[in-house]
Amino acid sequence: MTETLPPSTLAPTSTLPIPPEKQRRSIGATIEQYGLLILVVVMIVIFSVLPSSGPAFRSVLNVQTLVANQSVGLIVAIALLFPLAAGFFDFSVGAVASASCLVLAATTATYGWPLWLGILTALAFGLGIGAGLGWMVAYLQVNPFISTLGVATLLGGVIFAYTGGLQITSGIPEALPVIGSGSIGGIPIIAIVATVIAVIAWWLMSKTVFGRHLYAVGANPRATHLLGVDVRRVQLLSFVASSTTAAVAGILLLARQGAATSDSGMTMLFPALTAVLLGTIVIHVGRPSVPGTVIGLLFIAVLVSGLTLSGAPAWVGQVFNGAALLIAVAFARLARGSKAAARTV
Amino acid sequence: MSSGSPTLTRTGGPEPVLRVTGLSKTYATTVVRDVTLDIRPGRIHALLGGNGSGKSTLLKMIAGVVPADPGGTLTVQGRSYDSREYGAAGAAAGGLRFVHQDLGLVDPLSIAENFALASGYPRPLWVDDRALVADTTRELARHGLPFDARMPVGALRPSDRTRVAIARALRGADQTGLTLVLDEPTASLPLAEVTSLLNSLRALREAGHGIVFVTHRLGEVLAVADDVTILRDGAVAASGPVSDFDEQRILTEIAGHAPQRLVADTRDFAGEPVVLAVRDLSAGPLRGIDLDLHAGEIVGVAGLVGSGRSSMLRALFGDLPSQGEVHLHGRQLQIRSSADAVAAGIALVPEDRLREAAFPEFAIWENLSAASTKGFRRWYGLSARAARHAAPAIMRDFRVRAHSAVAALSSLSGGNQQKVILARWMQHSPSVLLLDEPTQGVDAVARDEIHRLVRRSVDAGATALVVSSDIEELEQLCHSVVVLQEGRVATRLRGHDVHSDTIIAAMQQAPHPAEPDPGM
Repeated sequence: MTETLPPSTLAPTSTLPIPPEKQRRSIGATIEQYGLLILVVVMIVIFSVLPSSGPAFRSVLNVQTLVANQSVGLIVAIALLFPLAAGFFDFSVGAVASASCLVLAATTATYGWPLWLGILTALAFGLGIGAGLGWMVAYLQVNPFISTLGVATLLGGVIFAYTGGLQITSGIPEALPVIGSGSIGGIPIIAIVATVIAVIAWWLMSKTVFGRHLYAVGANPRATHLLGVDVRRVQLLSFVASSTTAAVAGILLLARQGAATSDSGMTMLFPALTAVLLGTIVIHVGRPSVPGTVIGLLFIAVLVSGLTLSGAPAWVGQVFNGAALLIAVAFARLARGSKAAARTV
Repeated sequence: MSSGSPTLTRTGGPEPVLRVTGLSKTYATTVVRDVTLDIRPGRIHALLGGNGSGKSTLLKMIAGVVPADPGGTLTVQGRSYDSREYGAAGAAAGGLRFVHQDLGLVDPLSIAENFALASGYPRPLWVDDRALVADTTRELARHGLPFDARMPVGALRPSDRTRVAIARALRGADQTGLTLVLDEPTASLPLAEVTSLLNSLRALREAGHGIVFVTHRLGEVLAVADDVTILRDGAVAASGPVSDFDEQRILTEIAGHAPQRLVADTRDFAGEPVVLAVRDLSAGPLRGIDLDLHAGEIVGVAGLVGSGRSSMLRALFGDLPSQGEVHLHGRQLQIRSSADAVAAGIALVPEDRLREAAFPEFAIWENLSAASTKGFRRWYGLSARAARHAAPAIMRDFRVRAHSAVAALSSLSGGNQQKVILARWMQHSPSVLLLDEPTQGVDAVARDEIHRLVRRSVDAGATALVVSSDIEELEQLCHSVVVLQEGRVATRLRGHDVHSDTIIAAMQQAPHPAEPDPGM
């Protein structure tokens, strides 16, 4: 009955239903995980064979344009990812990109600084904004929604004040348009740059301790703190990573469009948000990720490009962006709900 | 929407207020099998069973939320329903009232608002706050609760929150003979609060209500229940008046086999090397704690609420600013943050698992590998695959029952979640384990397993400090118990003195200056 067991031995339990290391996945789960990717592939096939859009859609030029056009958007979306993983929306990424674009244009075109110094200044500008935002959110506990929206509005105003609503077009260093519009072996240079940055971001988020801490803080900051992690530092760094990445997007933006405009950058924010949220319903459902964001961005880009080439009017793009955003949010919610339901049975 | 049953067929005798006959529930498998249960007025009926025994499904069927399989019968206040026609409306008409474990109270709102949220506002289009407060105050008074109905619920003591939830469940009920179902009302209450809540339950019994009481704490069952029903694998394993049961039998019926309980270990650790030495530690309510923890020793911490039990663990973990000295293996530590503590080999398993330890939506393997990246660093960074593949072996080692390591932590029962949290730290063999209420809300079988895991962990030369409101747990698990009073060590019990009675006596003694000698 009550015999003294040697404290070191746990009575061997015979029925522990843990399967071997292989984890088998059901077909349903696979479809749920890769549904959006499958949809992207199906859409590419359909738009390529449709008589109305096919010839134009599958042309090399269209593919090049599509990829190059999405490069800046991808970097803006990646900038959103870092704070989102840590549990915050950062509404300032579009504005930081726009402002960095202007910083680069102003330093190089207006003041004649060398390109490398202009780029460094733009990156430092982004880093500074991120450090300030991160400090406010992590250490002063300011609501991130309000502070990032405030920074976005402020930057928009400063951009307008500086440009007076005009563009800076003359005197942009010649190397920039080459990056923005040139190609190597048929692949747009800007897409190569964007891919390199995406790979770095993917590595940071999924293969480093910092990345693991980001997601842990996003899921449960208190528990993460009790694991010995400096939660505030992680939160601060998420904003630094975000704004610095947004500054890279700004540099690529100047390279792509060859001019700094008075745009406040908010137009860049929402497509990025859509891509990121669509990305949370693929691969690892409910978790923002770089591969997911790439798929989300491709989904929108292919859909809008295909429909436009099929003769759909211009407003289609915006409508589909908005619809996709809502569908992504609802889908992510449902996926979480079904998990919860499975738990109660 | 309550008290709408004009036909009271009750005869007034010991006729059950709730009778369940032949109730079953089948999803993919049968989770409740042919359960028969009588709840009589003026009696407290303890419903017991391990996690997964079918308790919660049975309660949901009684509430009318989950439809039962055809063939069963539910009789509420003398009115019989076939299991197919019974629903939530039948449950309400039959005087069934439920208080769930999370109580369903909104803390920032007043008591009156919390009542209104459940039963509706007296005048919905122009809320009459005065009438609402008056009504609520009257309801509270009927249960002997002297609270201002405008007071926010969050300001109440834990046991008073439960009492308010019970008063709300019973609101507007003039008749006796209601059935009150309480799902683990004491799970998150400290010891002193439990005693006072149990007194309230006795008063409700005197008022003629039938009470279904779900709990994992066997001491409470023996103290307060009149009848006991134990479920195992969905079927009634045993049922009868409480006099037929003792703790040993209850545990045997819950587990299905005679329990292999840990027996008190009265070894003397004075000769063992000191792992953790605490000198003059002050933090929060703590006023100069001296403590030595030896290799292989499990030291319990007892004390009333506010005596500084949790603060002690927090201070040692760097989560609470403190003064004093802490030496680990003879070397003085500077613990200014939880990061310092983790780096030194100190692990904390906090009391509030959901808020402070778990990543519920993360997979089990991610929760297991959250504390350290040891073993899955590669040249390119961290390998998720390596962490995932290591998980099943750890789960087997720590007795985590789950169908897969990639399942979300939230899909596990409370006991298995807790074992994951323990495994998260123990797999890295920390020198010091700080455990705050390690088996709270965990069933009896999982509790024994957790105790074994703690013993195994310290056996390799570590030491553990265990805070628990469960005195039986301290008696079974700990080699030595420190009793805190007003932030000081009042007594340290060792060897044969580690006993429920002595612990309780020491806790309730009038405070006096620290006295290292355990003789009493």
